[in-house]
Amino acid sequence: MKNKKKWLAAPYGVWAVGFVIIPLIMILYYAFTSQENGTFTLVNFAEVFSANNMKALLLALLLAFVSTVICLVLAYPLAMILSSRSVSQTSFIVLIFILPMWMNFLLRTLAWQTLLEKNGVINGILSFLHLPNMSIINTPYAIILGMVYNFLPFMVLPIYNVLIKIDKDVVEAARDLGANTFQTYSKILIPLSLPGIVSGITMVFIPALTTFVISDLLGGSKILLIGNVIEQEFKQTNNWNAGSALSTVLMIFILISMYFVNKYDKDGEGGAVF
Amino acid sequence: MKKHITRIYMGLILFLMYAPILTLIVLSFNSSKTRAKWGGFTGKWYIALFQNDDIMQAFYNTLIIAMLAAAIATVLGTMAAIGMNSMKRRYRTIFTGVTNIPMLNGEIVMGISLMLLFIIARVNLGFSTILMSHITFNIPYVILSVMPKLKQTKKSTYEAALDLGASPVYAFFKVVFPDIMPGVLSGFLLSFTMSLDDFVITYFTKGPGVDTLSTKIYSEVRKGIKPEMYALSTLLFVTVLFLLILINMNPSDKKHAIQQAKELERLAAGGKKHRITKKLIWGRIVPILLLIIITGGGFYYGNRNKSSAGDQVIVYNWGEYIDPKVLDIFEEETGIKVIYEEFETNEIMYPKIQSGAIAYDLVCPSDYMINKMLQNDLLAKIDWDNVPNAVNIGETYYDKSKEFDPTNEYSVPYCWGTLGIVYNKTMVDEPVDSWEILWDSKYKNNILMQDSVRDAFSVSLKSMGYSTNSTNIAQLDEAQKLLVAQKPLVQAYVVDQMRDKMIGGEAALGVTFSGELLFMQRENPDLDFVLPKEGGNVWIDSWVIPKNAQHKENAEKFLNFLCRPDIALMNFDYITYATPNTVARDMIEDPEVRDNPILFPNDSQLKNCETFKYLGSEVEEICAKLWREVKSS
Repeated sequence: MKNKKKWLAAPYGVWAVGFVIIPLIMILYYAFTSQENGTFTLVNFAEVFSANNMKALLLALLLAFVSTVICLVLAYPLAMILSSRSVSQTSFIVLIFILPMWMNFLLRTLAWQTLLEKNGVINGILSFLHLPNMSIINTPYAIILGMVYNFLPFMVLPIYNVLIKIDKDVVEAARDLGANTFQTYSKILIPLSLPGIVSGITMVFIPALTTFVISDLLGGSKILLIGNVIEQEFKQTNNWNAGSALSTVLMIFILISMYFVNKYDKDGEGGAVF
Repeated sequence: MKKHITRIYMGLILFLMYAPILTLIVLSFNSSKTRAKWGGFTGKWYIALFQNDDIMQAFYNTLIIAMLAAAIATVLGTMAAIGMNSMKRRYRTIFTGVTNIPMLNGEIVMGISLMLLFIIARVNLGFSTILMSHITFNIPYVILSVMPKLKQTKKSTYEAALDLGASPVYAFFKVVFPDIMPGVLSGFLLSFTMSLDDFVITYFTKGPGVDTLSTKIYSEVRKGIKPEMYALSTLLFVTVLFLLILINMNPSDKKHAIQQAKELERLAAGGKKHRITKKLIWGRIVPILLLIIITGGGFYYGNRNKSSAGDQVIVYNWGEYIDPKVLDIFEEETGIKVIYEEFETNEIMYPKIQSGAIAYDLVCPSDYMINKMLQNDLLAKIDWDNVPNAVNIGETYYDKSKEFDPTNEYSVPYCWGTLGIVYNKTMVDEPVDSWEILWDSKYKNNILMQDSVRDAFSVSLKSMGYSTNSTNIAQLDEAQKLLVAQKPLVQAYVVDQMRDKMIGGEAALGVTFSGELLFMQRENPDLDFVLPKEGGNVWIDSWVIPKNAQHKENAEKFLNFLCRPDIALMNFDYITYATPNTVARDMIEDPEVRDNPILFPNDSQLKNCETFKYLGSEVEEICAKLWREVKSS
């Protein structure tokens, strides 16, 4: 019986080979062949490690890292608050975080332009209150804000998901045994919610690392991230090979994070966003 | 106290989440067409929305793709989850790993890999490729939602059902399925939402004529979002919010779903409970009705689009570069369906034509790009007998076209203009007459540059007195150094967002095209335009027919139609870029527009200006590289 059931995964297996594995092999193929005649070459990778591209990669890593940290710092307390709410409210509260996604992602990001611009809404309010204006549009700060804004739900939901499964009795037991607030967090809550934290981190870090839209819209095209470079290689310079090589390098970073996910999140439960 | 802190904290986060949404809702009631200015309250965009076929079409494409992708992914994903759950550990690890790939791979990598697959497999990019891609990235979300629920189900109940004589299928649907139902549902909902919100993957896997809301918006970003788009988003958002409140008003919490199903059965068996009926209406029937309305609308718009699919012409034009009414009139007059697609820059357009993946019938590139396409043998000769109206185009423009189309056999001029500086009179007190002002540190963070290789280089080349068509590497290097030096002063590199930003007074100076002025001045009279004394670039955008066009005759019909004076005038009123159609120009009523020296400069004004030529692939590559270095410096 069991053997029969496992064949239910077969259609997906075929699908995954066709639309996940083979396309990835194609990226690798392009990355290792030359643009002119399709022979094996490492030239594309030399391109990847040019000063400009490395700068874009490092900047992307830095911005993604900062955004992830900010998301984590904002999301953990939030998930704690949410998880302490009564059960009947939970699905509503969770949906509150999904709801913004129904307004198109590009529009939401563009709206930040309207908010942050020199003569934008926020500065309008600040001048009304006779406060100094801020000018973060077209700077890395605006990009970080955009990333945090767009990816925060992906940090909140996995952590929340893990937190509500933690038995309240465990926390109370720790308290009864004399643990203070700090100890309860460091010894009980954080270790138990680790799978959620890890999957939250990957779900924020990776999109932040690879985005090209947010940096485009909020960075004034002045700040190139690795995603922008890849997009340009494919859509403008039309150098698929160099673009593929860059994508390959990105994938290496992604493989590293996958390793961590598998290490901490064996059941794939933290990844469930709902 | 602690309660207050948590409340304030929640409030702050929710404010962060919803501030942009509030902004968009407010913008949907803004009577001014630009987002930079509040022009008073209006509801007109909501009416305009339902008359805007393009947006509605994109909206229904988005919905249908999201619906189909989510449904197929839910079936495949649920099956996969069940299969994986009964696999041996080793195989399960492999499957889990594969499942993680689309979730963890950056969207861009996934989009690109799928695009490569489709292009190599020679699948026409279009609706089906978007759908397949969406299914691919949705399945993992379904698996990850179903898996935890599956793990919670007890095998013994299923086995008990089997022992009691149920067939495996029956036992599954009676015993296992109700338990995993919440996971399946949330997988579906999540897929639907992700698919609805996706931009990157759609962007890479879409073909001509198929737009989802995201790609539509992205192409509009450059010229400023159409207010109808805000209206649509507001409607969508409010609808979903309303649905959520409805569903949550009743305790149809996921945990209650099973219980509700049982109650339903009892109801079917004859038990009458008023409460349940009410719950049924609000919790199930209303959402289902909405769903039917939405999909019905989708098929309505979908069918309308395909009604005359037999005779068509595929047009590829710059964004916002035609009056949409013109397309309607043409379709009405000839019965030929126009499939219309937009591009943002010449550099984006070229590879699409070159690869031949999509056969466009009529394209509108700029001068140097036409030159390049000619040299690469991508263009077909126009049959002038089919385009009698081409005589309406002034002779001087054909002369100028000889720079890039030496025999005048391949192109018909559509719009022309110059590259110069637009400035805000309230923010610049000295006279603006030279490119040099763009290097004046007084205007730090107040300068907007063009985000395109040729335009940016022509500014710095001209400021030093070199030709905009320079192929001298030393000169190009020099020009690049100037641009790098300028970068700290530049507020942003933009293409058509220039409009909104200059109107809103975001910057004092901007490098832009003469045709933008009319529109900008209409919204902000403080703006003026100057063609710097060093001269600049005079450009012509012309219609050409690619060699692989499938409907060449229709393309010529459409081209002839565009050259008709009344149509050219309509387009001029809409685009505000100078028309080379002299007959149409004479028909402009306002003499201030007709004889506007900025819009229609005379030859003496243009004496230092040059038309772009194609510089050859080698120099082009060098320029692209130098430009990348500027951008990432």
